[in-house]
Amino acid sequence: MEYLLNGFASAFSLAVFPILVFGVLGGVILGALPGLTATMGVAILLPFTFSMDPTPALVMLIGVYIGGIYGGSIAAILLKTPGTPASAATVLDGHSMAIKGQAAKALSIAAVASFIGGLISTIVLIAVSPMLADFALRFNAPEYFALALFGLTIIASVSAENIMKGLLAGTIGLLVSMVGLDPISSVPRFTFGIQDLYSGINIIPVLIGLFAISEGLNQLEKLASNQKDTAPKFDYKVLSFSDFKKILPTTIKSGLIGTSIGSVPGAGADISAFACYNEAKRVAKNPEEFGKGSMHGLAAAEAGNNGVTGGSLVPLLTLGVPGDAVAAVLLGALVVQGLTPGPLLFSQNPEIVYGIFSSMIVANIVMLIVGFLGIRFFCRIIEVPKIIIIPIIIFLSIIGAYAINNSMFDVGIALTFGLLGFILNKLDIPSSPILLAIILGPMAETNLRKSLILYEGSWSFLYDRPIALAFILFAIFSVYSTMKLKKKQKQNSQKHN
Amino acid sequence: MKKLLKTALISAGLIMSASTFAADYPTKNIRLVVPFGAGGGTDSVGRTLANSAKDILGTNISVMNRTGGAGAVGMSYGANRRADGYTLTVVTREIASLPQMGLMQNTADDFKLIRMVNLDPAVILVPADSPFNSVSDLIAEAKKNPGKIKFASTASPNFYLMALEKDQGIKLNAIPYNGSSEAIPSVLGHHTQVTMVTPGEAIAQLRSGQLKGLGVMSAERISYIPDVPTLIEQGFNVTTGTWRGIGAPKDTPDEIIEILGNAFDKAMATAEFKEFMKKGAMTIHPLNAQEFTDFVKEDVKLLGQLIN
Repeated sequence: MEYLLNGFASAFSLAVFPILVFGVLGGVILGALPGLTATMGVAILLPFTFSMDPTPALVMLIGVYIGGIYGGSIAAILLKTPGTPASAATVLDGHSMAIKGQAAKALSIAAVASFIGGLISTIVLIAVSPMLADFALRFNAPEYFALALFGLTIIASVSAENIMKGLLAGTIGLLVSMVGLDPISSVPRFTFGIQDLYSGINIIPVLIGLFAISEGLNQLEKLASNQKDTAPKFDYKVLSFSDFKKILPTTIKSGLIGTSIGSVPGAGADISAFACYNEAKRVAKNPEEFGKGSMHGLAAAEAGNNGVTGGSLVPLLTLGVPGDAVAAVLLGALVVQGLTPGPLLFSQNPEIVYGIFSSMIVANIVMLIVGFLGIRFFCRIIEVPKIIIIPIIIFLSIIGAYAINNSMFDVGIALTFGLLGFILNKLDIPSSPILLAIILGPMAETNLRKSLILYEGSWSFLYDRPIALAFILFAIFSVYSTMKLKKKQKQNSQKHN
Repeated sequence: MKKLLKTALISAGLIMSASTFAADYPTKNIRLVVPFGAGGGTDSVGRTLANSAKDILGTNISVMNRTGGAGAVGMSYGANRRADGYTLTVVTREIASLPQMGLMQNTADDFKLIRMVNLDPAVILVPADSPFNSVSDLIAEAKKNPGKIKFASTASPNFYLMALEKDQGIKLNAIPYNGSSEAIPSVLGHHTQVTMVTPGEAIAQLRSGQLKGLGVMSAERISYIPDVPTLIEQGFNVTTGTWRGIGAPKDTPDEIIEILGNAFDKAMATAEFKEFMKKGAMTIHPLNAQEFTDFVKEDVKLLGQLIN
């Protein structure tokens, strides 16, 4: 406790606090720009921390991380272009709210949900990280396979009206995820001898293409066909206290789910956001509102992705292994500072551990303030004429696609998927299942095959491991409840007729 | 004829421009291609070395991450840049293995190798409570139950394991994980029984006592983990590990290679770089251009025997 208070004292000190604010602000901006992710922001800043003291160095990186995961929601809500894969689920309801004129409300919900998700995650991290570490260690190939399988069933709940179209999109995503070296035998698949394809198709250019560029093309078409530019009306009304009370249970639950998913190495904010969205829809009183501007859907996605921030530090601090790409960079930062990540950090450098904890709490508070103060400013983006904003989005998207890997090949990928997304949009085929399948496809495939090697060909891992079995039951339940929901909707619509 | 003349003129021009470059090299920023992602081990070594070398060369060295194909994309990119000494590449052991597996078009011959930077051995690791207490224990069990010991492999194929398997005539059940950050938790969680990574990758778990080092696959013990005996000490004559170095496109003039080589020698000797490597538990192994080239040739041969 004393360490935690000291941590707060240092987080608010003159030497650290400005760096923290700078980190969060920078993260929000990076996250909001398509193609620039929290991971990239943290990695770019890493070399600058080499010459800094350990505490400010880590505080800055953590600020960028937390700000970056939240920042993605701003573009997702206002422009339908998720800045990071983590906010792809935010588009579903966040953008629908913005279209309905509730942009300010959506942004404020995103800020509040992100804050609560992040805070819960940090508190859980401080309180029970050793237990979470134990949970994380139980995860191996069979559990990852079952988790991915469960994740793939979420396609049903994000594919709006038509499940067949959603499955079609999911299949496209799975096909895309098969490109590259076979994860087990390293044999090239569908690479056509193109070396750039050996490591598979990078998810970020796909995201940029499917969402940002295709949306840009869509809007351009509207402009070209001289449809009246209906600038969405909106007010600056943020969420009311009764709204807050309504979304609070969803938010808290999503924060906890996010923390658990984050604590498992290899499962990150993108999977968490979709899983929380799915769960919120499952228990919702009016699930048909999801995808059409449901506050609960938005809050679940945002609390879910920020809930990962604390969870992903669990393996780093307790086991000394990074849980995701950002944690890997933080690990690098710790090592460069001469610190040994892992359980020894708690006994040898408690001031560093509690410095991280307290700065995470402060960073979440700063993020909430930045989010609220920014609402008026962000909303202005909607008022910019489409003819100006769309070329800017496409331009930034192309730069973002290039910047990930300094590669024109990735720009080509982004443009290809932009065109694909545009065509699919015309056919009413949703884009999110493609993204989900690209994230989860390789996870399912690799871990199924790894499990079979581990069990020497036996399939018993499907039922003799409790966590794997639980996820498989979740998956079956998820499919069942979607089917039931569809049936109910059908009956309702027949009644109306 | 015209075409021939043109080619001759262009190549003459290139040679001339290259030699004029060499006289006052470097006059502009140098780019260092890192074939792996920002924030990883290869990246941080590249960035720190670039940072130490920039004052010595008197020019800025900017790092460019070009990832993909387990390093193939970045290294091929670096090999095919203009040979003017302004694009250098961090070359890793993959340049010796990937081309032989048909996974990379360029080979080590497409580079003029400048300096080797680090050489890190593999360490055989088991959970702290494992029944295995020495390499002999492990090999005895592997001989008794062929293909039964579950090995968390950091890559597929795993050349560390293959070197041991080939030497001892044993076979382990290798489960391919994605790098040490997946393989280590798998061993910690007792899903697999043994893994092999470099000292730097497991230093946290070794220091905290979560993992036990059975043996290190180098000629001599490693200062960061002095209690872990070598395999040679335990009677198994196997050494293996991984390495990194700096290379330039193969037609880079020798004068430039020499300027760069001297600069990297000094950079590797700076307190800053040494401190960084020490913190990461990595071993600096500065081989000069000739030694490095011979070393890589030897490693290509060695890996070729394992691959075929």
